[in-house]
Amino acid sequence: MEQARIDELVSKYNEGVADPSEVQQIETLLESGTIELTQLRSLQLLDDRIMKVEAPAASLRMDDQFYTMLAKARKKSTSKSFFSEILDWSWLTPRLAFGAAILVAGFVGGFMFQRQGGTDVTELTGEVQQLKEMMMLSLLEKESATERLRAVSLTSDMDQVSQTVTTALFETLNNDDNVNVRLAALDALTPYSRQAAVREELIRSIEKQESPLVQIALAELMAAIQEKKSLKELQKIIDSDKTPLDAKNRIKESMKVLI
Amino acid sequence: MESIADNALMTKVRDGDLDKLGLLFERYKRPLYGFFYGMNRNQEVSEDLVQNTFFRILKYKHLFRGEGDFRTWMFHIARNVSHDHYRKDKIKAKDPIENWQDRLTSFESRATDIEHMEERQMLELAMDKLPADKREILLLSKYQEKKYKEIGDILGCSEGAVKVKVFRALQELKAIYQQLEKMM
Repeated sequence: MEQARIDELVSKYNEGVADPSEVQQIETLLESGTIELTQLRSLQLLDDRIMKVEAPAASLRMDDQFYTMLAKARKKSTSKSFFSEILDWSWLTPRLAFGAAILVAGFVGGFMFQRQGGTDVTELTGEVQQLKEMMMLSLLEKESATERLRAVSLTSDMDQVSQTVTTALFETLNNDDNVNVRLAALDALTPYSRQAAVREELIRSIEKQESPLVQIALAELMAAIQEKKSLKELQKIIDSDKTPLDAKNRIKESMKVLI
Repeated sequence: MESIADNALMTKVRDGDLDKLGLLFERYKRPLYGFFYGMNRNQEVSEDLVQNTFFRILKYKHLFRGEGDFRTWMFHIARNVSHDHYRKDKIKAKDPIENWQDRLTSFESRATDIEHMEERQMLELAMDKLPADKREILLLSKYQEKKYKEIGDILGCSEGAVKVKVFRALQELKAIYQQLEKMM
């Protein structure tokens, strides 16, 4: 088709006087890439308006749902990958060979340098631990809930956490805006719940929680560690009008274990 | 550039670094929500569909090859999620165009309500009156930033065919919009 005819078609369309057969021709031209949608001014105007219309903001529930799902998936994948890695011999065999070689080298090295003692290694481990703690504390300050979740998850790599870390975890458990981050902080604190100070702080945390999810998780932890001193605080949640019925029932179940 | 970063993030998710999905969620939760909201005008359902989309991304992460555009892959999944939702709940997404005139009759009785309707609200109403497939192509065009080739990948058709679909949808939207204008 000649350019003059194409221009005429576009111009007729823009003036609203194109007949059905001409509209059909316009479609063919669009399909072949001879003309672009942007040349059809009246439609372009409408399209521009569509681009400007914004959907109302989604609620925080959407974020909560997502991060709960992500936390669950992470938990599942950690345990699954551990077993699958163990069972995957094709992957494991070369690594076992490499491991054995390293072990032998280690023995030789150890024999040669035994007089130096283990202080260097201990120092290095300590430094790495400190580095991890610093990283965790700085990530906890981030605005993004993902980063804060990452911060909390870092503690699972630590053999033993310092008081600074447990304090930071309690600060997160009691004050973080995101319920999933709070739940993750509680998870991270669970291994240390044998310590009396951590137990007491966990009990104190019960009254600070407003999310039924965290309240239930705390009640379940109290039942698991048989912390009878928490009964008073748990009863307060049961008595509160703000607590949803489902949450009350779940907490009551945990309390039965304690009584 | 962002697409490369998206693909790099999704590749990490595929390889087990699930936390990176949080970054992709933060990046795309709004356009995805906007797409679903444009389709159903229901906040709660749209939020659930965003969640379902990311659930599937996680479930089918091993299928991500990192060759194409992550956003296109994501919208492909989102579209399936949307279709499944309506199929499962036997909800008719929206009435076909043959029926929209019936609805306009009842709408006329509410004419006073729309007298002061803003242009934007009228456009939204006109969008609602579009058949689902046409509304979908316009929303994909919007949230895929008019990348017609990528939209073609999602829909399984050529770039040219997408342009024709967008053209037809806009034409129909314009006709509905003009009808609404006359009623005001």
